[in-house]
Amino acid sequence: MTSTALAQSTGLSGWLRRRRGLLGAIALLVAFPFIISIVIDGQGLAAVVNNDLGNARFLQGLAIEIFILGIYAISYDLILGVTGILSFGHAMFFAVGAYTFGIMLKSFELAWPVALLVVLVAAVLQAILFALVLPRVHGITYALVTLGFASVFWIVIQSSDLADYAGAEVGLQGVDAPVWFLDTTNERFIFYLICLAIFFGVYVLYQHIVDSPAGRVFVAIRENEDRALMLGYNTFWFKLLVLVIASITAALAGTIHTLHQPIVTPNVAGLFWTVTALLIILIGGMGTITGALIGAAVYRLLEYYLDKWFAGAAGLLIGAAYVLLVLYVPYGIVGTWRAKSLRIKEGRDRLLKLLTGGGGKEEPAAKE
Amino acid sequence: MSTETSDLRSQTSEAGPSKNRQRAEWLRENRVRVTVLAVLVFVFVVALLGLEREDWFETIMQGLSVGALTFLVVSGLSLIFGLMDVFNLAHGEFFMLGAYLGWTAYTRADTLLDVAIPLLLLAAPFALMPLWQRLAVSITLTGRARKATAWGFVIVGALAAFFTITRFPLVIWDAENFALTPANMTVQIDLGTHAPLPADTFSGPVIVAVLGVLLGGALIAFGFGTLRKPGTETEALDRRNYVAFGGLLLAALLLHLVKEPVNEWIFGLSTTWRFFLSMGISVLLVAAFGALVEVILIRPLYDRPIYQLMITLGLGFILIELVREVWGRPEFTMARPAAFAGTGEGCPGQGLGGFFSGCSTVEVFGGRLRVYNEGFVILVGIVVLVAVTLLLRRSRLGMVIRAGVEHPEMVEALGINVRRVFTMVFALGSGLAALGGVLAAPSIGLSSGMGAVFLLGAIVALAVGGLTSFPGAAVGALVVGLLQQIIIRYGQVGIPIPFVEEPFKPSPTVVPAASIVLMVIILLVLPTGLLGRSEK
Repeated sequence: MTSTALAQSTGLSGWLRRRRGLLGAIALLVAFPFIISIVIDGQGLAAVVNNDLGNARFLQGLAIEIFILGIYAISYDLILGVTGILSFGHAMFFAVGAYTFGIMLKSFELAWPVALLVVLVAAVLQAILFALVLPRVHGITYALVTLGFASVFWIVIQSSDLADYAGAEVGLQGVDAPVWFLDTTNERFIFYLICLAIFFGVYVLYQHIVDSPAGRVFVAIRENEDRALMLGYNTFWFKLLVLVIASITAALAGTIHTLHQPIVTPNVAGLFWTVTALLIILIGGMGTITGALIGAAVYRLLEYYLDKWFAGAAGLLIGAAYVLLVLYVPYGIVGTWRAKSLRIKEGRDRLLKLLTGGGGKEEPAAKE
Repeated sequence: MSTETSDLRSQTSEAGPSKNRQRAEWLRENRVRVTVLAVLVFVFVVALLGLEREDWFETIMQGLSVGALTFLVVSGLSLIFGLMDVFNLAHGEFFMLGAYLGWTAYTRADTLLDVAIPLLLLAAPFALMPLWQRLAVSITLTGRARKATAWGFVIVGALAAFFTITRFPLVIWDAENFALTPANMTVQIDLGTHAPLPADTFSGPVIVAVLGVLLGGALIAFGFGTLRKPGTETEALDRRNYVAFGGLLLAALLLHLVKEPVNEWIFGLSTTWRFFLSMGISVLLVAAFGALVEVILIRPLYDRPIYQLMITLGLGFILIELVREVWGRPEFTMARPAAFAGTGEGCPGQGLGGFFSGCSTVEVFGGRLRVYNEGFVILVGIVVLVAVTLLLRRSRLGMVIRAGVEHPEMVEALGINVRRVFTMVFALGSGLAALGGVLAAPSIGLSSGMGAVFLLGAIVALAVGGLTSFPGAAVGALVVGLLQQIIIRYGQVGIPIPFVEEPFKPSPTVVPAASIVLMVIILLVLPTGLLGRSEK
C-alpha cells in the first residue's frame, strides 16, 4: 500500500508522511461540523460547541451513524473478506452488544464501565459459541447454522417473555446516557468526537491486525485452508481469534448504537442487518478493510438521499444497486481502485513529466 | 460413512445370502442416523401422547398441512441446490410472489389481462433478436464505449417503455383508497359480489402507446444485441423469428379484442374453478420468472458461488419491496373457494366422508379440521411429492437431474446441454414454490413477510433432511411442520413440569426458534442431515 520509499522514512516526520491520508481525513472530519455550521447554517463556531439545532447537528448525527455502520462492517470484513468464513449471523454480534449494554444500564442499573465489561464478556462468549461449530460444519452449512443462531436470538429478543427487558417487537427504549460525555442529545459534538476517535482507532487497529503475522494466516485460511493446516498452523485457533476480535468490535458498534439511537429495534438482530454489512463491504470492496469505511459512508448517504427523493421506492433502488454491484463491480470501490491505481499513477507521472519537462523531484520515488 | 453404503434405499433393496451381515454393517455405518431418527420419533410420540386424543389428531393434521406447504418450498430449494449448488435465498420470495399473483388472477383477473397486453408488445421485438444483432454490427465502437452505448440504448428503451405503458388502460387496485384496496376486494369476492373498477381507456392516441412500447422493446433488444462482442457470429434470421414476432403482436391484439368477454367468462366461473385457474396461471408466471432469473442473474456467476448466494439475497429483497409497492404494505387474505367454504345445513361434516361434503370444517375423531387447510393442502402436497418423485425416477429429465447431482462434468461430457437443464430445474423449483404460495394464500393470508417465514422453515427442513436429498426434503418438511404444531399446541395447554405448580407455556413467538434449535442440533450431530449423502 504505502510505497517503499515512504515506508523507510522513520521518526515522527516519517510517520506523519506515511499516515498523511488518514490524518487529513481525521482533521477534515473534526473541522466538518464547524464548516457546515458556518457555510450552511450561517452560525458561528460556538453553535457547534453549544449544541444548537441546525444542519451541523443533524449531519453530525448522520456521521455518527456512518461511524457505527463502519465499525460494524469492518468486523464483518475481517470475518468474510479477510478470513473467508461465510457467516450469516453477524447481526447477532451487533445486537448482542446493543441489547446487553442497554439492558445492563436500564434494568440492572450498572455503572457504564461495568456494563461495558459485561458486553465484552458476552461478545467473547458468543464468539466461542460461533467457533465451537466450526470444526463440524463448513461453507454453506456453516452459513446456515450461523443464520440459525442469529434467527433464534432475533426471535427470542422479540418474544413477549422478555418484554420487560428487551421491549418485545417495539425494541429497547429509555436508555439514559450514563455520563455527560456519552450523551448524544445534549453533548452531540463531544459524542461525535468520541465516535470519530473510536472509528479511526478501530480502523488503524484492524490494519495492524491484517498486516501482522497472524493476519497473514487469516488470508492464508481464506485462500487455502488445507495448505495453511499443512504448514503447521492450527487454523481453528486463528479462526477463533478472528471471531473474538470481530465479535468485540461489532458489539462495540452495538453499544454506540444503543447510546446514539433513542430506541434499539429488533431489526438490528435480523437478517437484513447482516445483509447491510454485506452490502457495505461489497460497495467498499471485500477484504480491503478501508473499503468497509468508505462503503459505510456511501451506503448511509445513498440510503438517506434515496429515501428523501424516492420515498417508497428507495428500498427497490437499493436492492437494484446491490444486484448490479454483485454482477458488475464485484471488487467494490477500493478493490477496483487498487486494481486501476497503478495505471492511474503511471498516467499521472507521464502528465507531470510532460508539464514540467522531465520528472518531478518526489514522483519517481512513488513508483514500485 | 462411505459413499456407496450411505444411500438408504439402495442398501435395503439389495438381497443376497449375506443379508444379515450386510444389515449389521449398514447399521454400524449409519448408527448416528438411526439413533437420531429413533430419538426424533420417540420425542414426537411422547409429545403426542401427552395430549388429549382429539387434540393429537388435530395437531398431526395441522402439522401435515404446514409440512405440505413447507415441502412445496423446500422441494424446489433442494432440487436447485442439489443440481447446481445454488442456494436460492430468494426462494421464499418466489413463494410470496406466487401467492400475490395467484390472488391477482383469482380476485382481479382483469388487471392481469390488462398488464399482459403491453408486456406482450414489449416482448415482441425480442423475437427479432438476430435482426438487432445484425444491425448492431454497424456500430463500430469497441470496448468500454460500446458497452456504454449499449446500456444507453437499454436505459432509453426502458424509459420509453415505462412512460408509454402508463398510457395503456390498466384497471388496478389502489392501496391508498380504501374502496379499492386489495383487502376490500377480497371481502367483495367473499360476499359473491364483484364491483368492477372504473373502466379505463387509452390516454392519448392508441397508436402512440402501441408504437411507444414497441419502440421501447426494440431499443432494449438492440442494446442487448450491441452488448455482444463485435465479430461474433450472428444468429440466422429466418421465418421462425417473423412468425414469433407476428404471433406476439397478434396475441396482444386478440387479447385486447377479447378482453371483455374473457373477463366476463372468468368472473362467471365458480370460485372453485377460478381458484384452480389462478393456481395454474401463478405457477406458470413464476416458473417463467424463475427461468429468466436463472438466465440473467445466476448464469453469469457460476464461477463465483458466494456472489450467487448474495445475488439471490438481493433478489429476495427487491421482490419484497416490489410487492410492497404494487400490492401495498397491509396484509390481506384471499377468499376461500366455494368448495371449501360451505356452512349452514349439515355442517360441519362428520367422519372422513365429511371432507367431500362441501363444508368448511369437518369433525373427525372428536377433532375439528378445516377441509381446505387440513384436507386440500395435504392432498396437493402428496400429489406433488408423488409427481416429482415419478419425474425424477421415471423420466429422461429426471435421469439427467439425478446424474447431474452426482457428476455434472460427466453429464456434460455425454453431450447433454446441462445449462438448459439448469434453467428448467430452476423454473420447476420456482413453480413449485409458487404453487405453495397460492395454496397458502387462502389459509394464512398474504403479507410481504410470508416468504421469509417459509424460507426459514424450508432451510430447517433442508438441513434436517439432507441438503441434496429429495426424499430428505420431504422428511424434513414433515418434521418441521409437526414440531411447529406440537409446540403451538403445547403453548395452549402448557407443559406440566414436575415440582412446579403452573405448567410452562411457551409463547407463540418461540415456535420458529424451536425448529431452528432442532436444525442446529441435527447439523452438529449429523452434518449431512437425516437422509443426505456424505460428502464426496
